[in-house]
Amino acid sequence: MATPAPQPWNLIAELSYRCPLRCPYCSNPLTWSSIRDGLDAAAWSHVFAQAAALGCVHVGLTGGEPSVRRDLDAIVAAADAAGLYVHLVTAGVPLEPAALPELASLGLRSVQLSIQHAEPTASDAIAGTASFARKLAVARAVRSAGLALTLNVVLHRHNLDRVPALIALARELDADRLELAHVQYEGWALPNRAALLPTRAQVDAAARAVRDAQRHATRPEILLVLPDWFAGRPKPCMGGWARRLLVVAPDGLVLPCHAARDLPDLAFWNVRERDLRACWEDAPGMNAFRGEDWMRDPCRTCPDRARDFGGCRCQAFRWTGDAANPDPACALVPDHDRLVTERDASSADAQLRHRR
Amino acid sequence: MSGPPWDSDAFEARLRAVGAARYHDQHPFHLRMHAGTLSRAELQTWVRNRYYYQTRIPVKDAVILTKADDAAFRREWVQRLHDHDGRAPGEGGLELWLRLADTVGLARDDVASLSGVLSGVRRACDAYVELVDGAELLVAVAASLTELFAGDIMATRIAAFEKHYPWVDGDGLAYFRSRTQQAPRDAAFGLRFVQQHARTRADQQRCVDAVERKCEILWSLLDAVEAAHRRPRRSRHVLLRADAERPDGQLAVLPERAVRLNAASAEILALCDGEQSADEIARTLAARHPDTPQAFADVHEFLGEMARLGVIDLGA
Repeated sequence: MATPAPQPWNLIAELSYRCPLRCPYCSNPLTWSSIRDGLDAAAWSHVFAQAAALGCVHVGLTGGEPSVRRDLDAIVAAADAAGLYVHLVTAGVPLEPAALPELASLGLRSVQLSIQHAEPTASDAIAGTASFARKLAVARAVRSAGLALTLNVVLHRHNLDRVPALIALARELDADRLELAHVQYEGWALPNRAALLPTRAQVDAAARAVRDAQRHATRPEILLVLPDWFAGRPKPCMGGWARRLLVVAPDGLVLPCHAARDLPDLAFWNVRERDLRACWEDAPGMNAFRGEDWMRDPCRTCPDRARDFGGCRCQAFRWTGDAANPDPACALVPDHDRLVTERDASSADAQLRHRR
Repeated sequence: MSGPPWDSDAFEARLRAVGAARYHDQHPFHLRMHAGTLSRAELQTWVRNRYYYQTRIPVKDAVILTKADDAAFRREWVQRLHDHDGRAPGEGGLELWLRLADTVGLARDDVASLSGVLSGVRRACDAYVELVDGAELLVAVAASLTELFAGDIMATRIAAFEKHYPWVDGDGLAYFRSRTQQAPRDAAFGLRFVQQHARTRADQQRCVDAVERKCEILWSLLDAVEAAHRRPRRSRHVLLRADAERPDGQLAVLPERAVRLNAASAEILALCDGEQSADEIARTLAARHPDTPQAFADVHEFLGEMARLGVIDLGA
């Protein structure tokens, strides 16, 4: 092994892939329904202790939807007991607003709540289920329980023009942070890309709206990332493969990213069979793209490789059939032209299909 | 920017619109100054720090002179150096500002030494000189055009001081009075100059952008002054814990990030209780560590960075 395993900072604990929402860009694996919730609260507790020993500082309890777990309170308490900073990453359903004071007392510190749009009808339409009213109730309960609140909105053609309204909503809810994240065209979003891809004009207008909002107002902190399909440079996917983020899937599989399971020929290990340190440091799949030795041209000698880590392995695989190829989101890569052609073929008329 | 150039009136309207939206007359610190609610200490901090800005103005104007080939322009512009520096010791705008320092209870030599200037203020003022230094003459002149908005703020300020801070007496307001005459004269010349010399829409846009940038600089100067008197408090979302890699330090863990603190940083943060102002915290630390002043040389700068990272709230 050429590159020693770095210390992970952040544990992504995917408690369950079940979710009442059916967003058309769902980031669950395509095979999610066959992946069972294999870790009980005691098993998660053991994972948390091992993650803290590895150096993790944060844990994000996520899914799917983590609040489908009936033992969420025990899991929160275990994560806090391990010394981790506990976040809940939720769609707001089936989470009960009334549960938040208790979760806070058990050690929950921060909630990241997804909303799909600034208006109830449109948000519910994208989510595929009535959920907006509950989300607002959860947001208010988060703040009154004294927890940090991040609103997360996945951006695409059908909500990108509403960025000013989303910022206003975040202010009204007294959010600490607003994350505006463009759809990643993987998994369920891939077949929906013609309907989801925004226009360049939309992307630029949203960036201007964020800059205007940031002038002279420090709350909420707004994070907007230019989508990689428009930036011409690859995103620093996961902050580098198996570098800072450690994902444990509902079935116990230890991954460098939630989508890596769908890449072929990579062996990942399961925390039900080996200890977490071995799964992180020694699994062949983890080491496949660690560091820079795996990189091909033009990444191999690119001055940006320490910043973007060569981009997204899943995207490289999807477009070229080989996950070790450079990410075609990069304009320096020959396959980039195909991606641009695809990007510019998006359409206001294309139909959105919900996740099944 | 594309399109035909704006006519003179439309161009002036664009420049004035920048002031209406962004000039520091609307900064919360100025609003409080003019409403009479600043403490004596706050007023002193403003006078002490704004003096650094005053010292940069003649430097900036000298830089502009080096860019001008036209004798008539230089004859006009050199007047600004005389206005600020005077023609003899004891004259000019800088001297008048030091008289203001006297009347608000500061030692003029101490103010003139620039020793207590906040680094955020220093950075803002230096950015102004750098902006002018790096720009062509047209843009350098345009950056001065915040003077278009200065006449009003001086009149407001004089009235507010007379009403709310009557202890600032005698010569204290002489600088402001002098500027009510000078600023409109200078602004009229500057405005005519950019109207004549910005020939394309792109030229005009660069002028508008320069006024915008200058407004941001003035705004950030007041941000720094204001922050010195706010009472920072550690964010309730922070978890302080041991840092496994550095036994003498701590980790401040927040949603989305963790901040590594050395022993000095941890000591500063421990004082962020929402009771003491940033200024008081800085004094406490200086008194506590007379032998290692460099470890606490820029408490204000550190607090600003911690606020940006969410470790502290700057407080009221």
